[in-house]
Amino acid sequence: MLGSMRYAVKTLLPNVLDDLLTRARPTQGAPPNILRVLHAVHDLCGYIDQQFIPAIAHSQGVTEADVAGVLSYYPSLNIQPVGRHRLQICLGESCLANRCDQVVEAIQSKLGIDLGQTTPDGRFTLEPVSCVGNCAVSPSVRIDGELQGRVRPSDVASLLDRYR
Amino acid sequence: MSRIRLYLSNDTSSCAAGAERLAEAWRQRSDVELVRTSSRGAFYLEPMVERESPEVRLAWCQVTADDLPKILAGNGGIPVSTIPFLSRQTRHTFVSFGVTEPLSLEAYLAQGGFAGLRAARQVSPSAIIQEIKTSRLRGRGGAAFPVWKKWEVAATTTADRKYVVANADEGDAGTYCDRMIMEGDPFRLIEGMLICARAIGASAGYIYCRQEYPAARASLHAAILAADTAGWLESDGRPFTIEVVSGAGSYVCGEETALLESLEGRRGVVRARPPHPAQSGLYGQPTIVSNVLTFATIPNILARGGAWHASLGTEGSRGTIALQLGGRVKQPGLIEIPFGLTLRAVLDQFGQGMADGARLKAVQVGGPLGSLFTDAQLDIPICFDAFAKADAILGHGGIVVFDDETDILELSRHLMAFVADESCGKCVPCRIGSLRAREILEAIQQGQATAADLSLLTELGDTMKATSLCGLGARAPYPVLSALEQFPVEFRSRLRS
Repeated sequence: MLGSMRYAVKTLLPNVLDDLLTRARPTQGAPPNILRVLHAVHDLCGYIDQQFIPAIAHSQGVTEADVAGVLSYYPSLNIQPVGRHRLQICLGESCLANRCDQVVEAIQSKLGIDLGQTTPDGRFTLEPVSCVGNCAVSPSVRIDGELQGRVRPSDVASLLDRYR
Repeated sequence: MSRIRLYLSNDTSSCAAGAERLAEAWRQRSDVELVRTSSRGAFYLEPMVERESPEVRLAWCQVTADDLPKILAGNGGIPVSTIPFLSRQTRHTFVSFGVTEPLSLEAYLAQGGFAGLRAARQVSPSAIIQEIKTSRLRGRGGAAFPVWKKWEVAATTTADRKYVVANADEGDAGTYCDRMIMEGDPFRLIEGMLICARAIGASAGYIYCRQEYPAARASLHAAILAADTAGWLESDGRPFTIEVVSGAGSYVCGEETALLESLEGRRGVVRARPPHPAQSGLYGQPTIVSNVLTFATIPNILARGGAWHASLGTEGSRGTIALQLGGRVKQPGLIEIPFGLTLRAVLDQFGQGMADGARLKAVQVGGPLGSLFTDAQLDIPICFDAFAKADAILGHGGIVVFDDETDILELSRHLMAFVADESCGKCVPCRIGSLRAREILEAIQQGQATAADLSLLTELGDTMKATSLCGLGARAPYPVLSALEQFPVEFRSRLRS
């Protein structure tokens, strides 16, 4: 569902992005804010295409290197399109203590991909996260923003089946 | 047919444990009125459903959708006040948790909300700071710096604009109390920020909330709107704006100067101090950066007096601490108690020991930069001084318990790899040191390291501790060096002979 919406937005992009960047211009005397604009573009597209860097730099009155620097710094800003579903597995210490490694293995063998990869059919992108603050009901898996706690390796197959 | 009112937590962890499934199953029922509250923090009992009885709230624990007839009939519920995990706590900051609807301003006011701000508005800014000084409150984010000192510096520095920034980048794995506050009692955070604004003369506030907490951000947005609509967002007759800003997955942005860089939209690289943010922070203006829990502790201090707060806890650690228990214990959850109980007592009384079949190997306190404790070391009192003396940290109050299946060498590598990934790169000891340390640990794992490499690891750790620019690099060696000290065989047995 979310995936198809993203795709629909993406085809509209040039105009929508123009509007967004125009609105994001700092008002008279206000400082630029690169991260804020990157968040806005990311929310719109699901990732940040590096070909947008010059336009983003222009909107903020900063250099392209400034924008590329901020973009490469923050782990949650994707520079590649993600799959239809973002599948995040928490690798925080409470999840580790509760054997999230076995959940990771179950997901990897079910989907045939490693952490950081997208399935060939574009269904899932598997991302490691360092803690989602769900430590009291760990291990944690988040799919498209929906968080599951106390996930056992045997839960993985039915959990993933809910996302086509 | 009259509806029976049931209380069900809307907290992220409650939902992840099954509360959301219950809500979906029961939403359409004509005989149930579902009230979504914050969580009591007894997460091992979630999903937990409560209903009123003539005197007390009754709770049904680890509920499935099929339990509804039993709950509606009133069978099998236990009084919440008889749950030892909760009744043994001293709830002050988390007193409303599990009781109220987070976004109901009326409920917040009915529970005594904004009494602290009202009291603060009756006195001068310097009297507010004096009250905080009397309370002996130390920052709850990890650094444990006396709060009044920061406020006094910001208050006495002349500037066109001053800022109040809530550090909601709760990145330490094993911690979640800030998330609970933002989701479950957001007006308390707002009230704390407003009191600070009046004390220092600030006109704008920011809440820098980590990207991983979408529900917290949504709750904050709604609470700020409600507080603004009700006319609370002003300080000394001027508007006081509060904006929620999202992080982007960088751990070091929880360090206050990196956070300010990120808030200004740049790479979250640490700034050299001095000047401290209280003198020159956001856009070069005096800025108070404090943890969410610190701000949430302030309203009670103003409402009940600094002396009340100072009467709780130990000599150097006044008030209560919010511990967040996780890992392989039987009863993980949020625990608010006065400082001073031993770590062992916390694990026994609240954690109720290890999860079934598990045996304790190590306890990490204070997040990924916290030292490891073995069973023999658990009699340490939970307070800043005892932990500092033991070369350990309380950090933000996270406690993660590892069982005897844990590979300590792999855990050490994981923790050092985390720092190597998250280092902002500004200073050499952290940027290069964490990378070299990770490589040494990997070499040990592969059976390619020698005793000389272990000495090098220790030496490298000492250099990082002494010369790193911020707490990330300076604390990074502690978990690994404490692991090496407590579990030497796990390292030495893997060396190349």
